[in-house]
Amino acid sequence: MVGTGPDWAGGRTALAATTADAVTGAAIRLTGVSRVWGATRALDDISLHVPPASFTVLLGPSGCGKTTCLRIVAGLETATGGRIEIGDRDVTALPPAARGVAMVFQSYALFPHLSVAENITFGLKARRVPRPERTKRLARAAEVLGIEALLNRRPAQLSGGQQQRVALGRAIVAEAPVCLMDEPLSNLDAQLRADMRREILGLQRRLGITMLYVTHDQTEAMGMADQIVLLRDGRIEQDAPPATMYAEPATTFAASFIGTPPMNLFPLVRRAEGMVLAGTDGPVLAAAIADAAVGGIRPEHLRLAPHGIEASVAHAEYLGADTILGCRTGSATLLARLPGHVVLAPGTPVHLATDAAVQVFDAATGRRCLTRPHRMQQETFA
Amino acid sequence: MMVAARSRLGFGLETLGAWMLGVLWLLPLLYAAWTSIHPAAFATHFDLTAPLTLQNFEAAWQAAPFARYLLNTVLLVSLILVVQFVLCTLAAFAFARLRFAGRDLLFAIVLLQLMVTPDVLLVENYRTLVQLHLVDTILAIALPYLGSAFGIFLLRQTFLTIPQPLDDAARLEGCGLLARLWRVYVPLARPTYIAYGLVSVSYHWNNFLWPLIITNSVGTRPLTVGLAVFATTDQGIDWSIITAATLMTSAPLLVAFLLFQRQFVASFMRAGIR
Repeated sequence: MVGTGPDWAGGRTALAATTADAVTGAAIRLTGVSRVWGATRALDDISLHVPPASFTVLLGPSGCGKTTCLRIVAGLETATGGRIEIGDRDVTALPPAARGVAMVFQSYALFPHLSVAENITFGLKARRVPRPERTKRLARAAEVLGIEALLNRRPAQLSGGQQQRVALGRAIVAEAPVCLMDEPLSNLDAQLRADMRREILGLQRRLGITMLYVTHDQTEAMGMADQIVLLRDGRIEQDAPPATMYAEPATTFAASFIGTPPMNLFPLVRRAEGMVLAGTDGPVLAAAIADAAVGGIRPEHLRLAPHGIEASVAHAEYLGADTILGCRTGSATLLARLPGHVVLAPGTPVHLATDAAVQVFDAATGRRCLTRPHRMQQETFA
Repeated sequence: MMVAARSRLGFGLETLGAWMLGVLWLLPLLYAAWTSIHPAAFATHFDLTAPLTLQNFEAAWQAAPFARYLLNTVLLVSLILVVQFVLCTLAAFAFARLRFAGRDLLFAIVLLQLMVTPDVLLVENYRTLVQLHLVDTILAIALPYLGSAFGIFLLRQTFLTIPQPLDDAARLEGCGLLARLWRVYVPLARPTYIAYGLVSVSYHWNNFLWPLIITNSVGTRPLTVGLAVFATTDQGIDWSIITAATLMTSAPLLVAFLLFQRQFVASFMRAGIR
């Protein structure tokens, strides 16, 4: 394995010679992948497709199996069942080094006994890439990441952001068609995280590699992804582009996981005219489809109006550009994101209205119900 | 004020105690230094004006094949160190990072070896080596010590502290098992190797009983045994020459001690000597 170099590297040298730093991404396809430890199913029959050169984010709360999924793609973990393909090649039984993947770890995993330059070229040396080629790729990666001045330092002498760059450098010199990232930004402060987010996205676009990126931070996922795969308890909850995920969450879990603040979820009960918020007498928020259901409205879709859902202000949180107003109504507290600075004392009676369709979810399964879009009828109360 | 006074008194007593222990430890060495550079007449007669001489060193060097003994000791210590490093590294890595049936049981058995004093096995070891036709060879002196439970334990604990992501990263970059061991684990465990190496070298440099039993010729005797033979039969009780020989034989270790003082202390603090 070592002497000959992996076969995904075959066409690469020619390509690298023609274009400055382009690698073509490879598709990743998982089919029915499971991982079982004793009685716990960390991954349960996962099937997903990551298109070549796309940025796909595995999103979910801690313990949902996203890191396990990534490690299975990398080959660091073996799947109990299922099939993993990278670029039309079945890699299920291949060792990590033969899969054509590079990886950035949450802890960066820089070798403390090696300098920055040695860390970056570690894999090239292990794969017996000749020295001139190594020097060339190192120089290119250092330039791309702006770390030329740090090459002789040890990882312990670097700041968190610099270590992160070195870890990125080690991933890109491999010129692998697939790059895996395991919560790479979680150890950085907020400002640096925003900068690195743009930088990683820019790098992925420029190099044309396929990125599979794990995070528990939904803003990261929304801001970077072409496709978000939302995981929960080892299963895929929803697999969609960010805009779809946001506008049409497939389940109440997806609705409550995405958005700051997340979607308002509240119980709906059937009345003669349609579904209303439990504990209120109207207005009708959705067509009657069941005795009980769960309704959902994004906070920014709520506005104050002369008529609508009767509520009283519970709390107000001023954020600068807008104000998050918590309003108690019936059996729920609704959050409304209102533009500007809204000053309302707790207890003030208000009316909330929305122009967007209320999302309806099945009360038992939490799945989204395909209903005829129902708009809140203002005129009834006007 | 009472507290301050008491703690100062305590500190004073501790310092005094440390000095007394230090001087007590140093006395034989000082005596050896004194005696070895004075004529025999001054061995038990301290006189600052006594004439200085290097005759004793010359006489000791001539009287016994110390050069050969020194070579034997160096060969013995190097052989043990190299083989221990190789065996302990491989075993420790297996116990720390490989998953195989019976691993913990095997490790417990290895740890059991720590509780057996080597001296208990003198006779049994001798019998074994007779059967192997190895009596009176340097290999025979080294053989019982090559698989060191202490070394395996020490290195395993060090390897366990090396973060798994480093191992994963190396695996992803195309390193096989041995490459990972060589490029990641061994370099990161360097302080442990230094500490263990120092303990091993000093122990086997000074080891006496087993080499005394298993060797019986000039070609294999290490310094300790050579010195004992020299001191008892050949010289009677000429303390000047005996101390000169003692200083000569312990000099390499003393120099090493001065060079590696800090690591020495740190290594002995880690655990007992084996």
